[in-house]
Amino acid sequence: MALTTGIINDKERAQFLVPRRAFTDRSIFEKEYEAIFNKCWLYLGHASELAEPGTFLTRTVARRPILFTRDKEGEYHALLNACPHRGALVCRERHGKGRAFMCMYHGWTFGSDGHLMTLPGSSGYPKGFKTDPQKQMVYVPRMERFGDFFFINFSRDGEDLATYLADAGDTLKLLGEHSPGGMQIVGGTQEYSIRGNWKLLAENSFDGYHAACNHSTYLEYLGNTKGALGVDPLKGEAVDLKNGHAMVEYTAPWGRPIANWVPIWGEEGKKEIDAVYAELQSRVGPERAERIAKKSRNMVIFPNLVINDVMAITVRTFFPTAPDYMEINAWALAPVEESEWRRKFRLYNFTEFLGPGGFATPDDVEAIEKCQQGYAVGGDAQYNDISKGMARDGAPSFDDEAQMRAYWVEWDRRLSEYEA
Amino acid sequence: MSTATMERTLEDSLLLRLRVEELLFTEADLLDSWKLESWLALFTEDAHYYVPPSDVDGDTATPDTALFYIMDDPVRMRERVVRLSKIGAHSEHPRSKVRHLVTNVRVERDGDIIRSRSSFIVSRAKDITHDLFVGHYLHEIVDQGDELKIRKKTCVLDMEALRPHARISIIL
Repeated sequence: MALTTGIINDKERAQFLVPRRAFTDRSIFEKEYEAIFNKCWLYLGHASELAEPGTFLTRTVARRPILFTRDKEGEYHALLNACPHRGALVCRERHGKGRAFMCMYHGWTFGSDGHLMTLPGSSGYPKGFKTDPQKQMVYVPRMERFGDFFFINFSRDGEDLATYLADAGDTLKLLGEHSPGGMQIVGGTQEYSIRGNWKLLAENSFDGYHAACNHSTYLEYLGNTKGALGVDPLKGEAVDLKNGHAMVEYTAPWGRPIANWVPIWGEEGKKEIDAVYAELQSRVGPERAERIAKKSRNMVIFPNLVINDVMAITVRTFFPTAPDYMEINAWALAPVEESEWRRKFRLYNFTEFLGPGGFATPDDVEAIEKCQQGYAVGGDAQYNDISKGMARDGAPSFDDEAQMRAYWVEWDRRLSEYEA
Repeated sequence: MSTATMERTLEDSLLLRLRVEELLFTEADLLDSWKLESWLALFTEDAHYYVPPSDVDGDTATPDTALFYIMDDPVRMRERVVRLSKIGAHSEHPRSKVRHLVTNVRVERDGDIIRSRSSFIVSRAKDITHDLFVGHYLHEIVDQGDELKIRKKTCVLDMEALRPHARISIIL
């Protein structure tokens, strides 16, 4: 059947086609902001980024500047970072410590919870002006926490975060279980852009099919590097996590600091990795421990959060500012108690594949940008094919495209609902 | 200090700076002409090549505790060169036009080690994109008497983010 967005989902003919205007059309881009970015739960940050009471960070989420604070009691707040007076950005620092935020324009000063503490020349205003609700910084309509992951929602209505996350919640929990002492965002952010439509990055982030061709040089590098390859083959399946979230879960030949040893880490490293694995088994049981340690997972939480638990863990979020341009922020997530050695290898692993300077991500970027350029051909070349695996009996393979279909069906549902 | 001593000191430091500039300009030239094997030969066998992210202090941060863009050890530097020689390195096939500008070179000697600090602009042009990387280099150079070898190269980006660049697929 043809969906309202023009997606063709024909199960009988095992055909799933996405119209290319989904990546190029300005009106679709604008609708996406209304129907998706203003309605869905969006990732804001991780609790470890505000480890101390009285700290803050600023971040742009789906084009909106947000001030994320922790007050002296330790409570978290998500505020729209604009002064109620004339609208200037109140906090202009990226992160820091401080419990008062002074707007540099006229000096209105706000607390960590956004309340107006002082304003110069208050005699010029009527009594009660300072406590007027309209003169306070505005809260993001909703903020919720799932484990240590904070999400915000620009809509007051709609399902709570746990319901929204559906089965993706369990994978988030699984990440928390990597460590007995909690997980943290490692310092240093990879901040970049891609000149392509944002949904191309969602697709690419859990596309198991492209690795062999697009990342041939990375796989050859692993092969060249003595001891970098483990024994496990690239093999696994795609899992629909409901509500548009999906992942691929698979074994892979690369080393995982939790806890898949590869020979390059040496005998000392083996001892440490064995100890990590033993602790994991005793804490979460053998079955879950095996899943955490031996399986890689690339998950997309609809619409724009990618968590790839691969040779390291990347938390990556992105948003479009135009149909053909997106901004991306990516972090590394790691166990708090990790030894220096393991942390070093984790980051070494991360940068080997992931990020703008890695041996793989630049080629993903190239693929995404070349898709966007290719869409300019127009004419009768109207559709992308996302049907791989539709004709297969049994569970979809990690290198099929079932996970992307789950994403697109949700994308279509959200846009169609908005239009109805 | 006598005038003669001052002049000798000045001569020494100028000479040192010229030797380092010669090395940095050679490096830039090799990178611009994609002679990556020769570029690699400018480094010691235990060399490292780093590009820190924009939200840490790039002059002092270490890749063992902060997430970098690039934290190459000797193995990975070699593999980076190997990778860039293949057509499967899609980002650089066909190869982009690259130009390294190096200026404001400052040098400081610390025994056999020379630390140099210089400014760079690296231009990368390929089909529809033309990106500029702006920052400063920190080179740690070993004086081996007859020649200078680079032991560590850190490229600190004086940029707020890697936007709109998306990638560091060339060598900075």
